Amino acid sequence: MPLLDIKNLSVEFATRAGTFRAVDGIDLTIEPGEVVGIVGESGSGKSVTSLAAMGLIAHNGKVLADRMSFDGRDLLGLSDRERRQLNGKDIAMVFQEPMTSLNPCFTVGFQLSETLALHEGLRGAELKRRCVELLEQVGIPAPETRLDAFPHQLSGGMNQRVMIAIAIACNPRLLIADEPTTALDVTIQKQILDLLVDLQRRRGMALMLITHDMGVVAETAHRVLVMYAGQVVEDRPAADLFRDPRHPYTRALLDALPERAVGRRRLPTIPGVVPGISDRPPGCLFNPRCAYALDACRQGRPPLLPDGSGAVRCIRKDEIGEAA
Amino acid sequence: MNALPDTDTAPVVLEADNLKRHYSVKRGWFEPAATVKALDGASFTVRAGRTLAVVGESGCGKSTLARALTLIEPPTEGRLLYDGRDVAHATRDDLKALRRAVQMVFQNPYGSLNPRAKVSAILEEPLVINTDLSRPERRERALAMMAKVGLRPEMADRYPHMFSGGQRQRIAIARALMLSPRVVVADEPVSALDVSVQAQVLNLMMDLQEELGLAYVFISHDLSVVRHIADEIMVMYLGRPVEIGAKETVFARPRHPYTRALLAAMPRVRREGALAEPLKGELPSPLNPPPGCPFHKRCPFARPNCAVDVPELRPVDGRLAACHYAEEIPG
Repeated sequence: MPLLDIKNLSVEFATRAGTFRAVDGIDLTIEPGEVVGIVGESGSGKSVTSLAAMGLIAHNGKVLADRMSFDGRDLLGLSDRERRQLNGKDIAMVFQEPMTSLNPCFTVGFQLSETLALHEGLRGAELKRRCVELLEQVGIPAPETRLDAFPHQLSGGMNQRVMIAIAIACNPRLLIADEPTTALDVTIQKQILDLLVDLQRRRGMALMLITHDMGVVAETAHRVLVMYAGQVVEDRPAADLFRDPRHPYTRALLDALPERAVGRRRLPTIPGVVPGISDRPPGCLFNPRCAYALDACRQGRPPLLPDGSGAVRCIRKDEIGEAA
Repeated sequence: MNALPDTDTAPVVLEADNLKRHYSVKRGWFEPAATVKALDGASFTVRAGRTLAVVGESGCGKSTLARALTLIEPPTEGRLLYDGRDVAHATRDDLKALRRAVQMVFQNPYGSLNPRAKVSAILEEPLVINTDLSRPERRERALAMMAKVGLRPEMADRYPHMFSGGQRQRIAIARALMLSPRVVVADEPVSALDVSVQAQVLNLMMDLQEELGLAYVFISHDLSVVRHIADEIMVMYLGRPVEIGAKETVFARPRHPYTRALLAAMPRVRREGALAEPLKGELPSPLNPPPGCPFHKRCPFARPNCAVDVPELRPVDGRLAACHYAEEIPG
């Protein structure tokens, strides 16, 4: 049984310009211990997907799904109270900006012990011992002294480690990391990614890694979902995806990476931008920017169809695979 | 400065010689003020039509260097020459002219454009301040520049919030080019952009360089971008350059352990060969830099004398590197 099982998830926001579907019919399953990467440009709906899984969608948003369950337990019908017992214990999240997601008014020790006291009922010396142990696990030097530090006294990388320590404090079975390294320097990014993968392996934790960085996904994920304008356009094991991308968007994203264009002066680009609230095209959402688009692509939304080791949302998937 | 043979014939537009910028910071009422050596001795040349990439982690002095190069702040020490003219001896009028010759593109196109000004006003402002052009002439130049960076003429009367990140960065580039500068200092110009848009902006920058013979000082932490756009690369650590050389030379076989670690830490879709071990620890505080080689505490190849002797930049294997054991660093 999958740990996280989401069928046909849509998230709609009521805006002045009308209803905006940020996430449009997503299927997502994560097995225990699996690392699933979700990639896509800004505005593709990756963060909203993760917030929906955490039950953190704001009041103007509506979450619709055929099924959304965690370890066999229905997430849609949870009361706020039940949700709070689940979040932070079995499902935990690490956000992009460590500097803004920690509370500047409290020490990191306090923020860490808050989670442990609430979910594990730890108190006093036992609580402190566990906090020190966690900071040690995430590689913070001199953890006893750091417990009394405020977030502004630590660097971005150290704060992100504190965030991870808080997230893993209660041995979650699923960790959702939303751009965990985007705000960090490249050498620190490497340290944090290695830490996440190491923790995931040692604890058998499932990891949902959301990022726009193809390199980060290629080095950590087992399976990758590529999102575009709220839809999954390709879903397949990471090794296959990077060897043989079948959706034109995946292919274009990979081609636009400077590392793939070594020796060439101009980079291949994707013309235009991700369609926003008012300019979603008819037919396939990617067709205005797609190099392979036909007339048929402008009629009707293509479904996500099984293809080899994964699934692709493109009516020309077979021709594109062969063209490579 | 360069001990290496120079084969490039393009004219030198910018020369920095032992450039330093120190800041004095108060630590408390009774403590003596401390000195932060944000930039501590950088020497390099930039030629017309070429790109010098400056690489390093936050806190390495990249942005301080940008502020010194764009004449926002005077250097504490060292010489800065534009077209062979020393900035330190320039009169006020000279400085005004120099500031037109060097322009800047900032990292965040959401913060660097005035949200209350239309695109046309943003582009015309440098002309209002620096030239005597009439209103129609200014408008004409703004429209011509917009066409050059790939913006449509009807966009002139829109406000920045109506544009996407990539388009905003195009506006910021257009603004930097309004006064026909010779040098453009770009501080992380594409790091706030998505991959596909990043490629568009990089292509635009390379096209403009070819067309206008611009010299770029391209500040970035993204080595894959640097590898694509740079001719020369300067790696900085704690305010000092630790390796300078032609891009191919440095990427083919880094000679400073820090450059090697940066290359290894770069997340890649395709990984060639074995990984170097990830770097431990973080950048030390510039208030209290370690003695000897500033990198020795994080360096996997450090030996006892690295904690004592400060390595100077010296020619190694076709580039300059500041490491006592540069010859022995595995590739």
